[in-house]
Amino acid sequence: MIKDSQFAIPISYGSTEVIDTGKWGFQKPHPQFLTAPCQEACPAGNSIPQFLYLAQKGEYGKALLTILKENPFPGICGRVCFHPCEASCNRGEYDESVSINALERYIFDTTIDQEPNLNPVQNGNGKRVAVVGAGPAGLSCAYFLRLLGHKVTVFEAYREAGGIMAYGIPEYRLPKDIVKKEIARIMALGIDIKTSSKVGRDITFDALNEYDAAFLSMGAGISSSLGIEGETFEKVMHGLDFLMRVNSGSSIPEGKDVIVIGGGNTAMDVARSSLRNGCRVTIAYRRGRPEMPAIKDEIDDAEEEGVQFEFLIQPVRINMLPDERLAVTFRRMKLGEPDASGRSRAIPVEGTDFIMETDYLFTAAGENVDLVSLPKDLTKNGLIYVDTFLRTKNAKMFAGGDVIDQPRTIVTAIGAGKKAAISIDLYLKGVSPENMFSGIRVGDKGSLSFEAYTSGGKFEMFRAAQKVVTLDKLNTLYFEHSERVKKRKLNRETALQNFQEVNLGLLAEEAIASASRCFTCGTCNYCYNCYFFCPEGVILLDPIKGTKYVDYDHCKGCGTCAKSCPRSVVVMKEL
Amino acid sequence: MCKVLPEKCGCDEGAVMKEFMTGNHAIAHAVKLCRTPLIAAYPITPQTPIYEKLSEWEASGVLKGIMMRTESEHSAMASCIAASLTGVRTFTATSSQGLALMHEMLHFASGCRTPVVMANVNRLLAGPWGFWADQTDSLSQRDTGWIQIYAENGQEALDSVIQAYKIAEEVYLPAMVVIEAFFVSHFMETIDLPDQGTVDRFLPPLDLPHRFDMDKPGFLVPVVTQELYREYKHRAFLSMDSVKEIAVKVDREYREEFGRGYGIIEPFMFDDAEVVLVTAGSITSTARVAIKSLREDGYKVGLLKIRLFRPFPYEAVRGALLGKKKAGVIDRNISIGSGGIFCQELKSALYNSDTRPLIYGYIAGLDGTDVSPETLESIVVDALNKDIPDKVPVWLRGN
Repeated sequence: MIKDSQFAIPISYGSTEVIDTGKWGFQKPHPQFLTAPCQEACPAGNSIPQFLYLAQKGEYGKALLTILKENPFPGICGRVCFHPCEASCNRGEYDESVSINALERYIFDTTIDQEPNLNPVQNGNGKRVAVVGAGPAGLSCAYFLRLLGHKVTVFEAYREAGGIMAYGIPEYRLPKDIVKKEIARIMALGIDIKTSSKVGRDITFDALNEYDAAFLSMGAGISSSLGIEGETFEKVMHGLDFLMRVNSGSSIPEGKDVIVIGGGNTAMDVARSSLRNGCRVTIAYRRGRPEMPAIKDEIDDAEEEGVQFEFLIQPVRINMLPDERLAVTFRRMKLGEPDASGRSRAIPVEGTDFIMETDYLFTAAGENVDLVSLPKDLTKNGLIYVDTFLRTKNAKMFAGGDVIDQPRTIVTAIGAGKKAAISIDLYLKGVSPENMFSGIRVGDKGSLSFEAYTSGGKFEMFRAAQKVVTLDKLNTLYFEHSERVKKRKLNRETALQNFQEVNLGLLAEEAIASASRCFTCGTCNYCYNCYFFCPEGVILLDPIKGTKYVDYDHCKGCGTCAKSCPRSVVVMKEL
Repeated sequence: MCKVLPEKCGCDEGAVMKEFMTGNHAIAHAVKLCRTPLIAAYPITPQTPIYEKLSEWEASGVLKGIMMRTESEHSAMASCIAASLTGVRTFTATSSQGLALMHEMLHFASGCRTPVVMANVNRLLAGPWGFWADQTDSLSQRDTGWIQIYAENGQEALDSVIQAYKIAEEVYLPAMVVIEAFFVSHFMETIDLPDQGTVDRFLPPLDLPHRFDMDKPGFLVPVVTQELYREYKHRAFLSMDSVKEIAVKVDREYREEFGRGYGIIEPFMFDDAEVVLVTAGSITSTARVAIKSLREDGYKVGLLKIRLFRPFPYEAVRGALLGKKKAGVIDRNISIGSGGIFCQELKSALYNSDTRPLIYGYIAGLDGTDVSPETLESIVVDALNKDIPDKVPVWLRGN
């Protein structure tokens, strides 16, 4: 019925909701969450997009808890990790990778006074597990085993826990109070630790069999020898021993000439520690700079601080001079075919010998595992032999960290500790690990998700999440280009005066800016693009509850939400 | 309003403002005088100077309101309709391809009874492509329910825009004021700019009874039943029909206020004419000259200018032409398959009568060329010489 006026037009006060326009569609949007390349690259499977999403919002306490679900050492990793996450960061292809490492440190530093409420320990089931070695692998294993409810006893040969973190890495890279704080957080879960207890000296290896299971993670603490004449001179020292002295405050040479043999992180640590004692330092490495296994940042920092580098030389003999200085004979090398590690072999070139004089020679050319107290059948090629589930030939015994054949980095050790804890837990339950491991993978590079494991079997969502999001799957139209925040460091003069921490970390506004650069690939960060672009208004989001809802009765499946999602968390599925 | 320069007159009435400007700018001034707060438009040759001038004024704050620079003419008209339905006076301008692109929205504008005013600059429709004056674009839209006024020159265009708002806002139907490309849009004339206060008195603010109500949200315009549709269309039809009288009234009021009026048709040298030239737009100006010249040569010719095309001034045209012997209609347009459009409409209006004249159709200036007095004279001679009009219109070459 029309109003009387001549110019009336029809107006409807009803609703068209009764028409289920959703029935017209042949595909519908579904939320998904995918693995980001950074979390796949992380050997500990850290939930990086999730904790950066929280950091973007300034919720650092929650971000810390998110990290602690997969890695008990954020403060340490945030300082010394070799950050493979940043090399895989999708943003790296777009402009510059996200400062994940610096942010992990910031999250720890900014919450340092908080006592995080870790997940309540699940009901203990009376199983007792021994952990040998309180380094990153051992302590991680102890941490995760404790979260699973087992009773853990850690045997540590030295007086203090920490392994390489406490004794190996110098203070200017990793302040010891940080290490103490992180270890205390783990111990607070109720873990029994026996320091100054070396297996093979203070307790027998067989004693470990009395436990329901054991994790062997004593690390590789014996420096390799060079196998050359003159190595036993007093002023020729193993790099690791030198570092232990530095870290325990013992006396160390000052103001002298030092040559360091080696190209790994230990060599860099030795060189830079010597610099801080007023020494003139040269690193001698048998291959070239690109082949150096040390973290690139460490090599650059060493060079900036004034370490000299000599490449493609190898020591062949050490002689003592009348004034007690050393005369080291070096031979030049050339690069040949790649060896097992994929790096070019170093081949000595005959007739190129020359001499360099020095006061001290420190060797940092590799470390070996102390096999003396280990049963022969557990070892192979100087390492403990394990399968993909970290099981040794002894059904009760598991191993991880530098004792097994894996890259020698702290985060890889942490990942192994976690993997072993899960493997041990399954063994103690009498469950075979094959199916379980495939269900809790974080991508395909070997890391596992502890959150998936403890989700009570509801890990279907994690199984689907194992697909990794690559840059081509993101809609980068919504990302403006930006640069990383430059690292702030002490200037050279100040840095070399003592062992205070060189990297200064992010400022608060730099942290927000850096976290905001994260695309949060594969994880919804409630940017509301789907909501704004949906022509029907059938998408509802609740960032507080963390829910996403689609009114399928009225969704026509146009796919605009999927196309406009910058981070690939909406997928269209055909009905 | 004093038409003499104040220095010469010494009275204290507001001075008449005269400026030298193009037809396009004259239209822009009219829009500004009407205080139109919402303009949504897209540029197209030869309308662009209207768009640019309004844009300049909006950016500098001289024109208060918002100019939406839309991505197409279709969106421009959609925006005007929606804005109009919030109760706001709106304006857009276009031409040729742009008008064609707006076509479905033109139906919406009249169907939603929105008093949108649009300036259309007649430009030929591609293909082939060109920019020249041709009325086919606006005439192609004659079925969309829009009021159409064809202006002869820039001054008339300005005055017609102001009148158009008044007419449209009385009947709630959209109106277009039409000028030809370059002959009116770009030619410069002395333009009498009305004074703002007088325009404000003449054109009160818009009151749209059926505008959106934020407190009672609804959906405009939903599907309706067949009976309702017929009813809505019939009411629009009746409203449009009333425009014939309303346009006359508004034009008369305008003449009283501003001193200028044009009527909905204009007969010129008419009374004893044996043949009447029927024109619209700028050709009328040339025809005035041609008719005078022909009269001097002894021809009994007259001129009928058609200003209001929709609604077609049925009664006025019949009143003028019934009883005349011959009418020669000049169309700067063509409906392929039929003939010139003014010609068809005229024939239709005059059909039911015994005293209707013979109607001769001519297509001239379709190519955008000048229609010269000589061409018009040749048309008159042709119509006088032929006893019966040809079945198809005579196509005349331009100069």
